[in-house]
Amino acid sequence: MKPEELRRLLTDRVLLLDGGLGSMLIAAGLEAGRAPDSWNLEQPERVEAVHRAYADAGADIVHTNTFGANPARLAGAGLAGRCAEVNAAAAAIARRAVAGRALVAGDVGPSGHALPPVGNASLDELREGFRLQVHALAEAGVDLLSVETMSDVREALAAVEAGVETGLAVIGSMTFEARRRGTFTVMGDPLVASLRRLAEAGAVAVGLNCSVTAEAMTAMVREAAPALGVPLAAQPNAGLPEMTPEGVAYRADPEAFARHAVAMVGAGARLVGGCCGTTPAFIGRIATELATAGLR
Amino acid sequence: MSGEVVDGLRRAVLDGDEDAAAALAQRALDGGVTALAAIEDGLAPGIREAGRLFEEGEYFLPELVTAAQAMKAAMAVLEPALAREGGVRSLGQVVIGTVEGDIHDIGKTLVATLLSAAGFRVADEGAGVPVARFVSRAQELDADLVCASALLTTTMPRQRELVAAVRQAGLKARVMVGGAPVTRSWAESIGADGFADNAAAAVTEARALVER
Repeated sequence: MKPEELRRLLTDRVLLLDGGLGSMLIAAGLEAGRAPDSWNLEQPERVEAVHRAYADAGADIVHTNTFGANPARLAGAGLAGRCAEVNAAAAAIARRAVAGRALVAGDVGPSGHALPPVGNASLDELREGFRLQVHALAEAGVDLLSVETMSDVREALAAVEAGVETGLAVIGSMTFEARRRGTFTVMGDPLVASLRRLAEAGAVAVGLNCSVTAEAMTAMVREAAPALGVPLAAQPNAGLPEMTPEGVAYRADPEAFARHAVAMVGAGARLVGGCCGTTPAFIGRIATELATAGLR
Repeated sequence: MSGEVVDGLRRAVLDGDEDAAAALAQRALDGGVTALAAIEDGLAPGIREAGRLFEEGEYFLPELVTAAQAMKAAMAVLEPALAREGGVRSLGQVVIGTVEGDIHDIGKTLVATLLSAAGFRVADEGAGVPVARFVSRAQELDADLVCASALLTTTMPRQRELVAAVRQAGLKARVMVGGAPVTRSWAESIGADGFADNAAAAVTEARALVER
């Protein structure tokens, strides 16, 4: 899908994104410490089942299971040199799962290596890794690319620019927190200025994902949407994860989450979905609420 | 005069200015300030303040990291003098790291920095540390405390394995756990000795554990 096609689609309607993937794979038996990306090779049918459940719930776009499938992270997961293979497998799984009912977005997460002064990665090295990943995803037939959970605008730009080179439509999302001085990433990159740079680099839509609850993200959407002239994507977490003796607990319920999703659309978001801890039940609930509100 | 230099050290750490921190450390020694005073009255208050500003949302990660780097640069200058002065009374030896499968470094590094400023000897093993390495390092250094961070719900079970491995190896070290999703009830359920939900609390908890 070319940038202008996604742009046109977003002027026509609000698009529903999928929800958490890693947290769903854990629920499906992914062991502690294992890279979710490894399941594209080892447990493709379980990954496929999650995508299918999101498409069944009404998602217009599902994300491939490639959040950690850049060469640097894969090397740390024992999959060095297998970037193209993992991404191609993930794209094939997602396409098979949705069977044309939803668009497939190739998911691109952070490299895991920080740039100075926090770490000693080089921008060239990160750029090279993103290029490998996005080209593998593009060749395997994803419809668009979705850069997510970036906390350093320099790295986010490198990923978005690599994505734009493929000719596919790109969504660029970063992860922000409410701080004393305003809304910033943990690296200190401010909300509006950072997203504006991603739009200038060619992202069709820019957005916020992870880190915060739907309620907190609604306030951020209110801040960002009027200041940006591009469609905004919003994917909050299902509350904050908490490890209890019984397992992982996310303290949010689909209904309250869906009400916030509707509020985010009201505040100017054109793509809504969920991040960690959200399930097909959340996405299904958003679909219902958006329809009730006449927004979809 | 020496008060100015020591306060300059505190500022250099807060500003994350490595060059100034190293130069001021040398000036302090040249002016007759003991290495211990330079650390206790200059560097330690500086890094504590940087940690507080980070936790309050005033500082961002790059500012915190450069503050730690400035402290390190000054320490490199002060260490030979510190050894001549007979060293500093340590609160105890700490081995700290983020568990295997988890690359999150931020919270762990902040805790390591503040523990070191508080007077602990700290061996920071970095991120993605296997249980076996925590144990062998604790053995080797005769550690008083092993601190393990986990930021992912998928990697938290490693903390449970660590507690079991430390006990099984018969080490004297107490085990402290932390990380965004970690709760006190989780810490208790895995038999950890200590828990903290922020870096300042981690220092308080660590002190309490070694005094016990």
